[in-house]
Amino acid sequence: MVRSAKRARGIAACFGVVVFLASASASLAQTSTGLPRIASGKPNLNGIWQVANAANWDLQTHGPSQGPAAFGALLSVPPGIGVVEGGEIPYLPKALEQRNKNRAARWTDDPEIKCYMPGVPRATYLPHPFQIVQSPTAILISYQFGDAARPINMGKPSEAPVDSWMGWSNGRWEGDTLVIDVKGFNDQTWLDRSGNYHSDALHVVERYTLANANQINYEATLEDTNVFSRPWKIAMPVYKHVEKNARLMEFKCAEFTEEMLYGHLRRVPSAKPISK
Amino acid sequence: MRSLRFLMSLAVLLALAVPMVAQSGAVAAKPATAPAAKTTTAKGYVAPRTPDGQPDLQGIWDTASITPLERPKELGTKAFYTDEEIKQYEKRRMNDLDRDRRDGGATQDLARAYNDGWFDRGTHLARNKRTSRVIDPADGRFPPFTPEAQKKYDEFHKWFAANPGNSAEDRELFDRCLFFSQSGPPLVPGNYNNLYQIIQTPGYVTIYSEMAHQTRTVPITRREKLPKDVAQWMGESVGHWEGETLIIESSNIRFNDHSHFGTQYDGMTDENLRVTERFTRTAADMITYQATVTDPTVYTKPWTIELPMEKAVGPIFEYACHEGNYGLSGILSGERVKEKEAAMKAK
Amino acid sequence: MMKKILSTCILGAGLVMAAAPVWAHHAFAAEFDANKAVKLRGTVTKMEWINPHAWIHIAVKDDSGKSTEWMVECGSPNTLLRKGFTKNSVTAGMELLVDGYQAKDGSNRANGRDVTFADGKKLFLGTSFTGAPGGEK
Repeated sequence: MVRSAKRARGIAACFGVVVFLASASASLAQTSTGLPRIASGKPNLNGIWQVANAANWDLQTHGPSQGPAAFGALLSVPPGIGVVEGGEIPYLPKALEQRNKNRAARWTDDPEIKCYMPGVPRATYLPHPFQIVQSPTAILISYQFGDAARPINMGKPSEAPVDSWMGWSNGRWEGDTLVIDVKGFNDQTWLDRSGNYHSDALHVVERYTLANANQINYEATLEDTNVFSRPWKIAMPVYKHVEKNARLMEFKCAEFTEEMLYGHLRRVPSAKPISK
Repeated sequence: MRSLRFLMSLAVLLALAVPMVAQSGAVAAKPATAPAAKTTTAKGYVAPRTPDGQPDLQGIWDTASITPLERPKELGTKAFYTDEEIKQYEKRRMNDLDRDRRDGGATQDLARAYNDGWFDRGTHLARNKRTSRVIDPADGRFPPFTPEAQKKYDEFHKWFAANPGNSAEDRELFDRCLFFSQSGPPLVPGNYNNLYQIIQTPGYVTIYSEMAHQTRTVPITRREKLPKDVAQWMGESVGHWEGETLIIESSNIRFNDHSHFGTQYDGMTDENLRVTERFTRTAADMITYQATVTDPTVYTKPWTIELPMEKAVGPIFEYACHEGNYGLSGILSGERVKEKEAAMKAK
Repeated sequence: MMKKILSTCILGAGLVMAAAPVWAHHAFAAEFDANKAVKLRGTVTKMEWINPHAWIHIAVKDDSGKSTEWMVECGSPNTLLRKGFTKNSVTAGMELLVDGYQAKDGSNRANGRDVTFADGKKLFLGTSFTGAPGGEK
C-alpha cells in the first residue's frame, strides 16, 4: 500500500511537467478516466447521494455510548471511524471547553433536534439523502432534511450580504473537481451530534471529486480562527442512490418540533370541529 | 355564510392575490422598458434548446405583479385592460395599497405591518395585461365550492375566528413555516420572494423557489408513483413535453385546514385533487405559466391561473423561516395572555 | 362613456380592497395589539437580519435614564438585500424612531410600523432594484 503510493507519487513527479502542460486542457487528460460527463464536459454529479458513515454522530473516531434510556438501542450512539484528517479537531483551549459543554447537552442543544437547517459541511453527512442538480450553467444542491437547499454561484464570486444557515456558496472547477468556497455562516449550527461547533467566522472549502459513476470523494477544509488553532480537513466517500425509484421525499421536520417548541403555549383543551 | 366566504376571499385576494404597490425608491429605479409597456408575448417565439434538445426554461424568474388573483366582480368578463386603463389602475393601486399610508385607523395601520420598503410584490400589472390571475372560469373568479365543502369551510372558519391561536397546528401553514403558496403547485405569487430558479438536467426539471427554499425536482419520465396515502405538501410531480410546453402533473397533495395555493382552503379535499402546470417560453425574457386545479371534492369546476414569469437577475437569497419564527410564539403567547385577562375580568 | 364607467368600477374595487385586512408572513394583528400604540426612540443594540422577519433590537431610555431593551419586527430581509442592504447597513449605536404597536403578550416587542432615522427619514428604502420585473435586467 505504502509502496504503491510512493510509486504513484514518483510517477506523478516524473510526469509533473507533462501534467502541468496538459492542465490548461485538463479535460483532455482526464476524460480517459471514463467518468460520466455532462454536455459541458464536466463530470456528471447529478443524482441523489448519501454517506454511509457515523460522522453525524461524531466527526472523530468514537466508541458506542448510551443514548436516552427510554430509547434503548434505538438512539444509542453507534461507534464509528473518524473522518478528520490526523484524527483530532484542533480546538483552541476555550473552544474545547465549549465543545465539551455542548457534548454534555447533546440530547437537548443540538440544532438538528429543532430541525434547523444543518449548515455546511454537516448537510453532506446527515443521515438523509441530498440531490445535486447540475447543468452546464447552474448548480443547486438540495437536501432532504428540512428541505434545505443552496444554489451555488458558478459565476463571478460574490460576497454574502448577511449571515445565513447554509452560507454563501461560490463554486468553481479545478480540473474535474468542483470546489465550493462557503462563507457567511451564522453561529447557530453544530458540526455533529457530539457538540463539535464553529463560530460565524467559519470558512469552508468543499471539494467534490467524482471517483466513479456512483461515488464522490468529498473533502471539506474548515477554518475558523475563533474556534480552531489551524485549518483542518474532513474526507469521506459519498455514494449515489442507484435504486430505480430513488428521489428526495419531503421531510419538513419543522412540523415534528412544534410540540417541543410551542407545546407550552398550547391552549388546553383545544378541539377543532373538523379534523384531517 | 356566503358573505363570510366573500369576506374571506377578499382577505385572501389582498393577502397573496393582490400584491400591493412598491415603494417609491423602486419606482424611481424603473427603466423605461416597464413590463406593462410590452406586448403580451412575441408570437411564434421559439425557445433556445438545452444540450439534450428541450426548450430551454433555465434561469431566474420572477412572478411578482400587482395583478389580483381574482377579478373584481364589477369587471364581469372583462379579461384584459387597455394600455390607458393599465396606467390608471397601476396609479390607483400604488396609492391604495401603499403600506406607508397612515390613514384608516389603528386596526388597518397595524395590518399594514411595516414599511413598504420590505415588500417586493411588483409595481406593475402583469405583462399579459389581464385583469386577474384566474383566467378560467370566464369571470376570473374561483368557481363555487361544492355544498359539502362550503359547509365544512363555513363551520371551520367560524370556529377559527373564535379560536385564532389555540396551538401551533391550528395556525396557517405559512405561520408555521411549513408551506407557502409561492412554491406551489401551483405557483401563486405573494408579497415578496417570488423568485424561482429553473435548472434542466437530462430527464429532470428542477424548480427552486426562494420562498422557504423549496425545491421540486420533476422527472420527465414515468416512474413508480407514491402510494395514495403518502401525501406531501408539494405533492408528487411528473412532467412531460408537448412541443414547446413543459407540462407538470401533480397529485398526492397534502392539505390541512388552512391556506394552500393562495386561497383559504379547508382540509376537506381528498386524493382526487390534481394540479396541471404548463410552462412555455414565450419570449427571451418570459415564461408564460398556466396552472389548472381540478378538485371535484371541493370545487364545482376546475379553475386556471396564468402568470408571466419574467427574467430576473437574482441571486436567490436564503429564506430560513422555521429557524427564526419568533412570530408564532408571539401569536400563541398573546392568545394565552388574552385568555388570562378575560378570566380575570369574569371573576 | 364606457371607459368612464369602467374607471369608476376599477376605482370602486380599489377602495373596497384597501379597507380589507392585509397579510404579511403572518397576520400582525394576531401578534400585536392595535390598542397599544407605542412610539420608541432608542439606539440600535443589534440588528438580526433573519428570516422570516428581521428584528431590530433597540435600547430605549426613559425619563429617569433607565434603559429598556425592545425588539422591533420588520419584514423579510431578502427584499432589502435585493436593494443593496447588507449586515453593515444597520449598525449598533444608530439612533432610530419606531412607531408601532406592542405585542399582545405585553412583552417589549413591537412591530416596526414606521422606522425612521432621528430626522424622520425612512430607514428601509431601497437604492437599487434588481430582482423584480421591470428592475435591471
